[in-house]
Formats: sequence, structure tokens, C-alpha cells
Amino acid sequence: MTPHALLFTLAAIGISETTYLIQKRHLGEKPVCPINISDCHKVLESKYNKTFWIHNDVLGLIFYITVAILTSLIVIGIHPVNLLDIIVKLLIYIGVLMSIFFTFLQWRVIQAWCTWCLISALTILLMTVIVLTSSLV
Amino acid sequence: MMREASFHILRVGIAITFLWIGILILKDPQGWSGYIQPWLLDFLPLTPDHMMISTAILDITVGTLLLIDKLTWQASLVGAAHLVTVLIVSGINSVTARDIGLLAGCLSLFIFSVK
Repeated sequence: MTPHALLFTLAAIGISETTYLIQKRHLGEKPVCPINISDCHKVLESKYNKTFWIHNDVLGLIFYITVAILTSLIVIGIHPVNLLDIIVKLLIYIGVLMSIFFTFLQWRVIQAWCTWCLISALTILLMTVIVLTSSLV
Repeated sequence: MMREASFHILRVGIAITFLWIGILILKDPQGWSGYIQPWLLDFLPLTPDHMMISTAILDITVGTLLLIDKLTWQASLVGAAHLVTVLIVSGINSVTARDIGLLAGCLSLFIFSVK
């Protein structure tokens, strides 16, 4: 139960964060970036802000919602629990690979750091640690 | 900015609590129905299990709205009203004592977000 609660909590934090970024983008406003304002916007408005024509914040939101829903279904006991567990793990492994790639982009290509992107990367990294250090089902 | 940040931290924290409680109730509605005071059972419009499932759906709805920051004052008001109901229905015991803190959090969110 505890790993699921932690995964769900992290996914919910991710949903809240990506929703904020999407809302700000739709309103045409710049999000508040706690550490370095200009760097944050440089990353969010770069040509790398989309993957396959979909904004990365939207992809992130889909990822977090899927993890939250699947984790909930596992906790409630909707079958097949084992299959759902495998899907959650796969999603998180794909997510962490993408996060590493995006962090690399910020570091070496864009050469600017975005606080929200780093928080998201940390969230997914923590999810990976939870999955690796616990047997979920 | 700090004031804004503390609002969002409270909002997300309360949202996660509502969502997770809703999920736990859906996992075991019968177990959770044990918290309903016996005197109230005759007044329930639904069976205790169905009442708990309805409660779980309400919790998840409130939690989702708070999480995505939509209809925030309405959601926090409904959340506060729901917690008052829980305290009346269940009484204040070792489990529900923390609902007093959640109620205070919901009222804070309501006051902060109402325009």
C-alpha cells in the first residue's frame, strides 16, 4: 500500500504542476519560475517544448493522470492487477528516460534550466526509485 | 509570492488527501461504513455501502477540482461541509480527529480563493 500511496501522491503533484503550466500557456501568461525567471521561459518557449507535435506539458499531464488512475485501480483491486502493475512500471521507466533526455537538453543544448521541468524530472526520478526499491503488487 | 505558494501547497496537499481517502473508501466501502453512528443508519437514503461509495465519489470530485485549481472555492466549501458532516456522523475519535485540521485547511482555501 505504501509504495502505491507514494506513487499516487507524486503523480498528483505532477498533475497539479503540468495543469498549472498548461493553464498559463493557454492564458498567454508566463509561469512564475521560482529560481531563474529568464532561463525558465527560455526552456519553455524553446523549439524543444514539443514531442511529436504535442506540448511536453500535455504529455506530462497524460503520463501523470495515467499513473494516478492505474495506481488507484491497483489499490482498489481491479483485475488484472499484475498487468496494471507492469504497465505502471513500464510507463515510469519510459518517463524517466524522457526526463533524463529533457534534462540533458536543458544542460547541453538549450543551456538554461527550468525549475518546473526539474521538479517534474525529480518527481519521475522519485517514482523510479519507489518502483525499483519495492515490489508493488 | 510566498503567500501564493503557501495557498498552492495547501491546495495540493488537501487535494491529495481527498483523492486518496476516496480511493481507500472505494477499496473497502463496507469497512468504512463502520464509522457511521448506529443512530444514523435509519435515516440513510441508501444502504451504508452505497452511502460510502457516494462519499468516495464526492471525495474524488472535490480532490480533483482542488488539484487542477478549477472551481476552487466551491470545491473547498463542499469539502468543508463534507468534513462537518463526517464529524457529526462519525463523532470525534482517534481517526476523525485529523478531520478538524482538514476542515481548517478547507476553510482557509475557501477564504483565500473566494472572489
